[in-house]
Amino acid sequence: MANLVIRDLVKTYDKTEVLHSINLEVEDGEFVVFVGPSGCGKSTTLRLVAGLEEVTSGSIEIAGRVVNNLEPKDRDIAMVFQNYAIYPHMTVRKNIGFGLRSSKAPKAEKEKRIESVAELLGMTEYLDRKPNQLSGGQRQRVAIGRAMVRDPAVFLFDEPLSNLDAQLRTQMRLEIKKLHQRVGSTIVFVTHDQVEAMTMADRIVIMKDGHIQQVGSPSEVYHQPANTFVAQFIGAPSMNMIPGRVEADNRIALSTGGELAFQRPLPQGRPVILGIRPEDLHPGEVNSVIEGAVNVREPLGHETLIYVGTSEGDVIAKADGRTPPGIGEVVKLGAALENMHVFDAESGEALA
Amino acid sequence: MKLYRDLTIRQKQIAWAWGFLAIPVLFYGVIRFYPTGNAILISFQDWNLLGERTWTGLDNYTKLFSDPIFWKVFKNTFVYLLLGTPVSLVISFVIAYHLDKTRFMHGFLRMLYFLPFMTSAVAMAWVWRWFYQPVPIGLFNNFLASLGIPQINFLNSTTNALPSILAPAVWAGLGFQIIIFMAGLRAIPKSYYEAARIDGVSTWTVLWEITLPLLKPTIVFIVVFSSIGFLRIFDHVFNMTTQNPGGPLNSTKPLVLMIYQTAFSSFDMGYAAAQTVVLFLVLLVVSLLQLRILKDR
Repeated sequence: MANLVIRDLVKTYDKTEVLHSINLEVEDGEFVVFVGPSGCGKSTTLRLVAGLEEVTSGSIEIAGRVVNNLEPKDRDIAMVFQNYAIYPHMTVRKNIGFGLRSSKAPKAEKEKRIESVAELLGMTEYLDRKPNQLSGGQRQRVAIGRAMVRDPAVFLFDEPLSNLDAQLRTQMRLEIKKLHQRVGSTIVFVTHDQVEAMTMADRIVIMKDGHIQQVGSPSEVYHQPANTFVAQFIGAPSMNMIPGRVEADNRIALSTGGELAFQRPLPQGRPVILGIRPEDLHPGEVNSVIEGAVNVREPLGHETLIYVGTSEGDVIAKADGRTPPGIGEVVKLGAALENMHVFDAESGEALA
Repeated sequence: MKLYRDLTIRQKQIAWAWGFLAIPVLFYGVIRFYPTGNAILISFQDWNLLGERTWTGLDNYTKLFSDPIFWKVFKNTFVYLLLGTPVSLVISFVIAYHLDKTRFMHGFLRMLYFLPFMTSAVAMAWVWRWFYQPVPIGLFNNFLASLGIPQINFLNSTTNALPSILAPAVWAGLGFQIIIFMAGLRAIPKSYYEAARIDGVSTWTVLWEITLPLLKPTIVFIVVFSSIGFLRIFDHVFNMTTQNPGGPLNSTKPLVLMIYQTAFSSFDMGYAAAQTVVLFLVLLVVSLLQLRILKDR
């Protein structure tokens, strides 16, 4: 168990820089999730930490030791791959034991460790089976078992749940989280699924185009997004974005018409973007500046999503599940002022 | 047309399937199965291509099994197989394994290895035959002479001739086997190797416990294919020993060459057919054995 420190990490392939000076500290026992769209550099970062790719510049420290030039096996890490990378011709026992092949421990002790890991994962009865006799979730557990048996300082997970069906994914998500609580090791987990990130992480690292956009707890990145990218990436359906301009007295004039008076100080005259999450936006009279006809309804049972047409396109809001407004009905939408996010229109950064 | 319309979808499918299959079935029937059946028939007869066919029962077979030349030839055929298959397997794997990791001039190198496979066996045999000549003509002996090493009798020695003929045959088949091996290597997911790297096992362990077991289907394919090839070796032997085919003293003669001579030099078709049937059975047994041994349990 140990911490992980990434300093000014840069990675280039040929002449293309794919990671631009990444800085991050992961504390001992922390569960950190890297999330972002494909090609954002999250997997590259993980592979650099694992030692599968060479660092261009900057440093990676594991437990206070710079590991830039160490072989993966000497870094005291273990990795779980997207396709599990469990060997089809070996039994579960041999697959889990493969992580111990290079260890000098006596055979009996290795055997004991395999057994105890298998027990922890509930795989004891499957030890002598081949992977093709296992379900997707069980294969996933074998892959995790192979990582655990090494007892590494840091666990690395590279999109391990993306090959599972939705139900199994939810289940494995919970199991990995439980496992983390029980074992308490440092985990770096890469995913493109923001729900996975939100549900599992102690801290989320949101990446885009080789830059870290925001680092924070799930609650922080949801409630205080640092910029429009984070605001739209986290949460589903994603945040409504309405352009506007700051007028005198911290009032924002929206391009869809109407004005809102804010309490917080805003730079006068600046073009801004007002962000409101669909779950905060409801039909009603409170701060109701957005008006339009309902184009589409998506009933979800306990609530109904309504798509309301404005001059800036459809705005999504949440209406009551039992008595939603009808199609074509003109509604006014409003939200509490504290649930409205204001971003700079040019830089996309959050204002106040 | 009414008849067709009244058929169920399934019956129509069957009608179409057989319609398309008719030509290959006919082709195979006439070109493959009829001659095969006929050969088996002739093996129980006496026939010189021109005269009457007369039934002789098992005479051809009893004659064959008491013929010392047949046993010599039988042994030669298996020497080609038992030497050629493993040697070509190991060489082609080693080349494919390293070529797979080479980026530099990859396509060009692959082409170089594939070239012999596309070359005419006759031309190649004659070029190799020239390599094997004594000084001052032969390439190899000239080279040995320049190093001061005594001459080697490649094709005129009963012990050296067979390996000397086998060498170009192995070389000619390499290109194909390398391509197949490389395809097999490419099919192994990269993450298997990355996981092994993280687990810190040696390159040797990776080769023996990951690469080779996962290449098993490829290896089975190549072993069966090249075995059939070596059991049927003919053109290399024939062209490299033209004055005395299969010589010296039958030391290089494979079964196919014996069949050829019996049929088209001695015109003893029945006897040749009996040899063909034996060759067929040998091929069948060897292939089935290999498939069984190498198949996944």
